[in-house]
Amino acid sequence: MFRTLWLKLLEIYQKIFTVIGFGSCRYYPTCSEYAKWQFQKNNLFLAFWHTVIRILKCNQLFVGGIDYPIVKKNLNCKRVYRYNKNKNSFIVKFWLVPVLGNKNRYYLIKTFKRTKSC
Amino acid sequence: MTQQQRMILALALSFIFFIAYDYFMPKPQKVLDQNITTQTSTQVSQESNAAPFSAPVSTTNNNINATTTPLKSANVAPVAANSTNDTIAVINAKNFKLTIDGLGRISNYEVLNDRFRAEDGTYPNLVSSKFDLKPLEIRFSDATLNNEAFKNNYIADKSEISLDGKSQTITLVQKLPTNEITKKITFNTNGTYIVNVTLKTPTEYFLSPGFRPDTAVDMYTFKGALIRKADDTIETIEDGDAEGTEVFMASSILSMNDRYYTTAFYNFDNRMNIFISKDSEDRSLAFIKGTNSITMNGYIGPKEYDTLHTVDERLTDIIEYGFFTFLAKPVFLFLKYLHSLIGNWGWSIVAVTIIIRFVLYPLTYKGMVSMNRLKELQPKIKELQKQYKGEPQKMNAKMMELYKKHNANPMGGCLPMLLQIPVFFAIYRVLLNSIELKHAEWIGWYTDLSVMDPYYVLPILMGASMYWQQRITPTNFTDPLQEKIMRFLPLIFTFFFITFPAGLTLYWFVNNLFSVSQQYYVNSIFSKEKARKEAQS
Repeated sequence: MFRTLWLKLLEIYQKIFTVIGFGSCRYYPTCSEYAKWQFQKNNLFLAFWHTVIRILKCNQLFVGGIDYPIVKKNLNCKRVYRYNKNKNSFIVKFWLVPVLGNKNRYYLIKTFKRTKSC
Repeated sequence: MTQQQRMILALALSFIFFIAYDYFMPKPQKVLDQNITTQTSTQVSQESNAAPFSAPVSTTNNNINATTTPLKSANVAPVAANSTNDTIAVINAKNFKLTIDGLGRISNYEVLNDRFRAEDGTYPNLVSSKFDLKPLEIRFSDATLNNEAFKNNYIADKSEISLDGKSQTITLVQKLPTNEITKKITFNTNGTYIVNVTLKTPTEYFLSPGFRPDTAVDMYTFKGALIRKADDTIETIEDGDAEGTEVFMASSILSMNDRYYTTAFYNFDNRMNIFISKDSEDRSLAFIKGTNSITMNGYIGPKEYDTLHTVDERLTDIIEYGFFTFLAKPVFLFLKYLHSLIGNWGWSIVAVTIIIRFVLYPLTYKGMVSMNRLKELQPKIKELQKQYKGEPQKMNAKMMELYKKHNANPMGGCLPMLLQIPVFFAIYRVLLNSIELKHAEWIGWYTDLSVMDPYYVLPILMGASMYWQQRITPTNFTDPLQEKIMRFLPLIFTFFFITFPAGLTLYWFVNNLFSVSQQYYVNSIFSKEKARKEAQS
């Protein structure tokens, strides 16, 4: 419930402000995108915490650049993918890259949206 | 991303925030619901002239000694058709003039300050004749006693008092067939007073600070009851939201406010039990309960910070700026401090703007340095843009990689942008709510920065400065539609700011000017660097 509300708010935020054409973020993914991924894939408390930290770091005293969200996941007990209709394939939306030395922590990397089909 | 763009975004965001805040504003808590018997309208006898009250209800089950509550529909004319409306005493002071009517209530309170005068030259009267509940009105739980009380006149021991720089006391006595009420009121020169109510035969009654002042009412600012509760937090009940059943035990302030003025009770040592009922339009009617003797501090007058602060620091809680009070109060105090140095509110606003910009200067300086470095990366960026055309996400990622590698990032960041929102709103609230800024002068025809500019000069200047800034700020739009929207923004903003308080437009205008000069500075650094390099090669 709360999760969907947050995601909706983020969506509205992105819709309105990308149309006007402002991107002020010093990072990839941008703060709003980062928040979206966090709220999609992490537990709520952690998502909130990471998002706040990220926004605080998003100023000119920090270098910026690429900063992927880190999420907590236990892959042993949770199905993290969903099959397609034909059950033979699935579409990759996120890659989970293990954080070295941290059990159950993964970098969350979203696949790039393809605009042209090959 | 330029400073400019960030500010626009900040403004737009603040608007969304503002709307959302209005929408989700917490409703006042309900207490004692189960104890209030629904009073049927038949019980409010139509022929009765007196203010009716509910019959006492059973004692509560949670140890609160609240046995009665004023009736909801107290808007019935409480005054009998006899002479109780007549003035029985007049109190004159340097800053105010008040009259006491036959029911022992304050029936007029004029603030004798030229700055607050209306356009027709009259002084604001904080006791509105439109509403029946007057300051220091007493209502009884016992209906017969209440009827009697509203039919018999008080007798004053003096008919006229001049304060002449020192406090004076007036004693009012009301003789009823079954009881005798004595009101001893000591008026101080600063607008505060101490009222002592004593009954010959103790019985339950309610004393009111009166209906809120009705001189400065608009849809943007708070009007209604403000209570400093037992835990020292502030609860507000906006007019139209009163439930008519609120009870606040052991509170220290009960203040009935419009935008600039208040009529309040306060007592930080002997806390009071506050009962809020409501009139037909859900506006709060506030009372404190007593049975025998009550001694209460009161204040009627403008919500001026210094006046309230000299009485008691905690009393400044009466001045509230809504959700942003936590930030607006420091902003106001800072502005007030600057005003004490400069002596003009308009220039103080200009000074605040410049000081805020200087505080943010380290961030901006960092930005300049990285911009310099970025210049050298320009060919690589162009290459990337070409390579990933049509794949914006991938392009952004690659750009960020490049920025990080060369420790250069042209983006301003989300935090500075988000920080602008509360500051902007704090200044907005201060301009709207502070009586000190009413009739705040600047230059020329700016005789009141808290209202809109009558000649639209500041909004137009603001729009022009925005346009100017856009012209000298290098932009790299990939989308022609975006560019078009950007070009129209100064125009949109000009219209947007037309109805805003002139002080706020002034703040934004100075902010823009600062950005422009900063941009010129950055540009000159660039061209010097370029000239130096050309000379070398």
